[in-house]
Amino acid sequence: MASLHFLLRPSSNPNPLALPSRSRPVRCANERQALFSRIAPVYDNLNDFLSLGQHRIWKRMAVSWSRAKRGDDVLDLCCGSGDLAFLLSERVGSDGKVIGFDFSREQLLVASSRQHLLLKACYKNIEWIEGDATKLPFSDCSFDAITMGYGLRNVLDRCKAMQEMFRVLKPGSRVSILDFNKSSKPFITSIQGWMIDNVVVPVATGYGLADEYAYLKSSVQEFLTGKELEKLALETGFSDAKHYEIGGGIMGNLVAKR
Amino acid sequence: MVRVSRVLLRDARVGINKTLSEILVCPLSKQPLRVCEESGSLISDAIGVSYPVVDGIPSLVPKDGKILATDDIEKPDSDVALDSANKEYPSVGQSLSTDALFFCKSKWKITVN
Repeated sequence: MASLHFLLRPSSNPNPLALPSRSRPVRCANERQALFSRIAPVYDNLNDFLSLGQHRIWKRMAVSWSRAKRGDDVLDLCCGSGDLAFLLSERVGSDGKVIGFDFSREQLLVASSRQHLLLKACYKNIEWIEGDATKLPFSDCSFDAITMGYGLRNVLDRCKAMQEMFRVLKPGSRVSILDFNKSSKPFITSIQGWMIDNVVVPVATGYGLADEYAYLKSSVQEFLTGKELEKLALETGFSDAKHYEIGGGIMGNLVAKR
Repeated sequence: MVRVSRVLLRDARVGINKTLSEILVCPLSKQPLRVCEESGSLISDAIGVSYPVVDGIPSLVPKDGKILATDDIEKPDSDVALDSANKEYPSVGQSLSTDALFFCKSKWKITVN
């Protein structure tokens, strides 16, 4: 499995930073933020291990679908530790600009550290910003492309997030949203569930993060199908929307054009 | 032909580069932000909120914004910075909800004491 994110629903949890149990869903933005901050130190390693490195291929596909090109200004939402941002940086080059945007400062600090360690000259065009995906701090029509990897499923107000993406995109530009695929095929759903129960959670347990990763199954089940994502994008105002299933149907990538 | 790369001038005290500070806007009002070098923050004069810059990473999370006193808004950088550095202000998240605050200040120009 690739990078892991968890869906939160509105809650009245009195202790938002308490470690959630498997019997209590992860709710509210504070819990979600704390969760991603807790997994930040092992996030990259687990992504590689659990997906056998496949997440790198899916992320390259997501960047390719965004149509980002040399000299562009691009935005990577829910950037986490920066995988997609670094790929975008190589694509837009030193004449372009990449904004890596996330709500977890811990993840951003990991991304920033990687940026300084990797030493590629083009990576100097990346800037990191902490913020809320439903309240973007950018003017209208700012970006030539937007990517979002394993993020939309974890945003409480997906409609608002889509509206903000639409607002800050330049006309004719695309957003490329990679995430787990909520499949309408029972076989795919079974495979996803089995892998989470029998591979992801046991591995995460070794890092002391069993509970943090146990919610993946329900978050995928509560996510939107490819058709629903296309509908959401069109209702938001995008002129075209297409969802592609990849990774044998386990993953999916929505491409929407303003 | 020599291709000229974009020159990103980094303000050492605030820790963000000039180009970045020019493209960022207030997440609530969507109005431009002003760099306050003394306090190391980004100021939204439109709604009187200050957003911190920590380790060179702007924190533009609405609930983490600090409400500025009325006399700190639209002042020259040095005056605002001095007041901001010396006073503690409630965070946007601790007082009114961010959206309610924005609505009130923009509609009725309410003064925050």
